[in-house]
Amino acid sequence: MTSLALTDLVADYGGERVIGPLDLTLAHGERVSLVGKSGAGKSTLLGVMQQRWRHLGAALMPQQLGLVPSLSVFHNVYMGGLARHSTWYNLVTLARPFRRDIDAITPLLERFDIADKCWAPVGELSGGQSQRVAAARAIHQRGGFLLADEPISALDGPLAERVLTALGEAYPTSVLAMHDVELALRFTDRVVGIADGRIALDEATHRLNARDLLELY
Amino acid sequence: MPQRLSFVLSVALPLLLAAPLAAADPFVFTAIPDEDETRLQQRFQKVADYLADELEVEVRFVPVKSYAAAVTAFRNDQVQLAWFGGLSGVQARERVPGSRALAQGVEDAEFRTYFIAHESTGLDEDTGLVDAMRDMTFTFGSKGSTSGRLMPEHYLREAFGEAPEAVFSRVGFSGNHSRTASLVASGAYQLGALNYTVWENELEAGNIDLDGVEVVWKTPTYPDYQWTIRGGIDERFGEGFADRVQQALLDMDDPDLLESFPRSGFIPVDNDDYEVIRQVGQQLDILD
Amino acid sequence: MRHSATVRTSLGFVALALVCLLMADFQISAHDPWAELGRLFLGVTRPSFSAMDYLGEAVVRTLAFAFVGVGLGAAAGLMLALVFRHRAVRTTCAFIRAIHELFWALIFLQFFGLHPLTGVLAIAIPYAGIFAKVYAEILDESDPQPSTVVPHGAGVVSALAYTRFSQAWPHLASYTAYRLECGLRSSAVLGFVGMPTLGFYLESSFAQGQYATVGALLLLFYALIATLKLWARPRLLPLYLLAAPFLLGDGLPIRWQSVSRFFTEDIVPEPLRQGEGVAGLVPWLGDILANDALPGLWNTLLLTQIALVATGLLALMLYPLVSQHFTGRHATGRLRGALGHGVLVILRSTPEYLLAFILLQLWGPSMLPAVVALAIHNGGIIGHLVGQRSNQITLRPDAPRGIERYAFELTPRLYGPFLALLFYRWEIIMRETAILGILGIATLGFYVDSAIQEIRFDRAMILILITALLNIGVDVLARRLRNRLRLRHTASCEP
Repeated sequence: MTSLALTDLVADYGGERVIGPLDLTLAHGERVSLVGKSGAGKSTLLGVMQQRWRHLGAALMPQQLGLVPSLSVFHNVYMGGLARHSTWYNLVTLARPFRRDIDAITPLLERFDIADKCWAPVGELSGGQSQRVAAARAIHQRGGFLLADEPISALDGPLAERVLTALGEAYPTSVLAMHDVELALRFTDRVVGIADGRIALDEATHRLNARDLLELY
Repeated sequence: MPQRLSFVLSVALPLLLAAPLAAADPFVFTAIPDEDETRLQQRFQKVADYLADELEVEVRFVPVKSYAAAVTAFRNDQVQLAWFGGLSGVQARERVPGSRALAQGVEDAEFRTYFIAHESTGLDEDTGLVDAMRDMTFTFGSKGSTSGRLMPEHYLREAFGEAPEAVFSRVGFSGNHSRTASLVASGAYQLGALNYTVWENELEAGNIDLDGVEVVWKTPTYPDYQWTIRGGIDERFGEGFADRVQQALLDMDDPDLLESFPRSGFIPVDNDDYEVIRQVGQQLDILD
Repeated sequence: MRHSATVRTSLGFVALALVCLLMADFQISAHDPWAELGRLFLGVTRPSFSAMDYLGEAVVRTLAFAFVGVGLGAAAGLMLALVFRHRAVRTTCAFIRAIHELFWALIFLQFFGLHPLTGVLAIAIPYAGIFAKVYAEILDESDPQPSTVVPHGAGVVSALAYTRFSQAWPHLASYTAYRLECGLRSSAVLGFVGMPTLGFYLESSFAQGQYATVGALLLLFYALIATLKLWARPRLLPLYLLAAPFLLGDGLPIRWQSVSRFFTEDIVPEPLRQGEGVAGLVPWLGDILANDALPGLWNTLLLTQIALVATGLLALMLYPLVSQHFTGRHATGRLRGALGHGVLVILRSTPEYLLAFILLQLWGPSMLPAVVALAIHNGGIIGHLVGQRSNQITLRPDAPRGIERYAFELTPRLYGPFLALLFYRWEIIMRETAILGILGIATLGFYVDSAIQEIRFDRAMILILITALLNIGVDVLARRLRNRLRLRHTASCEP
């Protein structure tokens, strides 16, 4: 995979500039976190990345998660792997899942503490549970890199770390929009700070501490 | 689980199209539904059995819901023989080249329509078509019936000099002759016109209370019902088949069979005997 | 302001209906209609199942035609729904659903004759048009988000199946189940034109006044519809769908020459067939317009307007029967609710065509039976839906009771949805009005039927076309009105 780059990017919303102009390059094997106060343009920037890089094999975790409430947890996770199978295989799975997919997905659900919900419709889950399903789907996709918008916003302490660890293991290359500064520092290699739609900070994690980031807020 | 269903549906639906829509080739006949339709199958099944014995082919009777449906089935070669009324026979023979009228009932050579009236009209027996009838309500039988529509309309126009819609306050189509009888008997319509054999039959069966309804006029005679067979039938069922069918019809003498028409017997007839019906049909713009 | 526009429109409709009422032909001409009605009730209470050796077959055929027709219609409708954004598809669907299934049956009867295909297509074609529209609306309402996260490279079908279809599935399924019920009604009614379903025997028995047989047939029909949920289990549906095509019966073989003859000869206008050319076409068309189309159109409009308002009034009177706010929630209330439901089930599951037929037999010919039949059937449906909607409303604990609760609390809140539903059914009422002509009320169907009885399909086709255009016109008008009054959109309640 070559490096991913955005050059001279601008984005407008309702006649107002919300992003840019900015340049950003994502190197292979680099975990980047986007930080900044709400409204700074993190989500918009991530949205642009998702749009532009989706066809390059990105796994996506949008803020609204993009889950199908009427389908079971299993099927929502399985959706990550839709491109790996033929149409018939997918349709049969919709009616009757294959053993080997169940075997592949169950450990993931166990790791996220939602194995007991495997056959429950996602619509019946809590916000935190849904977020874990979306994370599992992203992991099951086995894409080239991950673009996630606030992947742990509804999770607390240990679970949040567990999810971030799992995402990190599955995706050496990723961009995560994060509101939790401390976790951003612990789980990513590079922090890009966004303020007023521009890059206000772009630094390797080991050279930063939490106080440096507070200036952005 | 619903997902399962969606899959099965996607497999099952294409199969629907592949289902066999069978085709056999028996000798099929029909009859216009001119009276009690619930008995049609019963009435004509006996005739089908008789014809099967006489002709030594598989014979099937198929009931239809309207005169036009009988003509259409005949025209589309879904039936090869039909017991038509005068008008429907002409319509059918015009559309199927080579088809011919084989036999008519003894009564059909001199058929009549009876005009009947509810007692509340105050009209007496055999008063004729009189001006007192104006602005009453009137019902024909089926739209395609000879004795229930064509001939009565012809005589009404002759008597009143205008269309029935202009003469009566309401003109209806009851659907068949026995319904005409019951609608006029119940007073739903004040006047009606129907096939005289059906009237006589209902009277005999005790279905009509003569205190409530009366025959006020009988039309002059005209030719009506007949058996008609499709052209080219001999090629399909063997040389002389049409003649054999005709003979079988003429030979029908079992009172049980004849009663279902109801006719006392059958006599030979040919297409030209119905020329008068064709002319009236054209006059009334029912035939092109 | 918004409120007053709704009220003004409603009052306008009522006023128009009153004017129509003055011009319409209303009359009970039967000598003793109540005695006849009494005999009918006696027949229903003492049904005779013995008289019918064909009973089982009629039931099987009714089910088979409904399943195959609705199944094909749903499959075709789903395909069409996916390309519904194309104008040509939308127009085609609007056109094929504007022609009533009985008209379709009459058309197919002319060349397929009494072959099962006639009945199957008569249901499948108009249903496909309706399914396409409603499915498209349901799919449009689904959340587009999931399709944006589907991995790149997944097939279109897989992606659709997992995202839009899966989301819309509960709505698609419940709407399809509802249409299956409609399909049963349509299938039964097709018997009136010769298909071997329940309607075939119902019509004959009724015509002969054999009310015990009529009673048996009616009870059987209600039982079929009332128990639909019990036997039409999702699990069993595939089985039914697979079996149904084999249970349609043989009918009579199709002669394919008849099909080509129908299109190349029968429906070619007579002056063209006779070689008179376009010059002959003008007087020919003029004659049809003046003598058939305009009188038929006039009566259709008159009857539709009266029936629409009557339907609305009846629905407003009926909805408390199934509203928990009136029946109560406790044991006795539930019983009352169940009774109310029973009444509405009977009202709405009797096809209007059948009701009109019954009432015509009882009261004699006029517009009255048609209006009452349409109001009962459609009022039953709208009353049911409005009642269900009312159960979603929470009243404050000290809300008034009885008539005050009805007039001040519930009806004002339900009026918007009620009007939306009524406008949805407007087109359906008009379609039915036209078709009731076959029974002898001088709407467009009467003239279509006459043309077919005279074996003049060219005329019949022109009249059917006019009917279709009229239905499309009303559909457009109703949509405009809904938008202007900003009435909430309720796709799954249609039609």
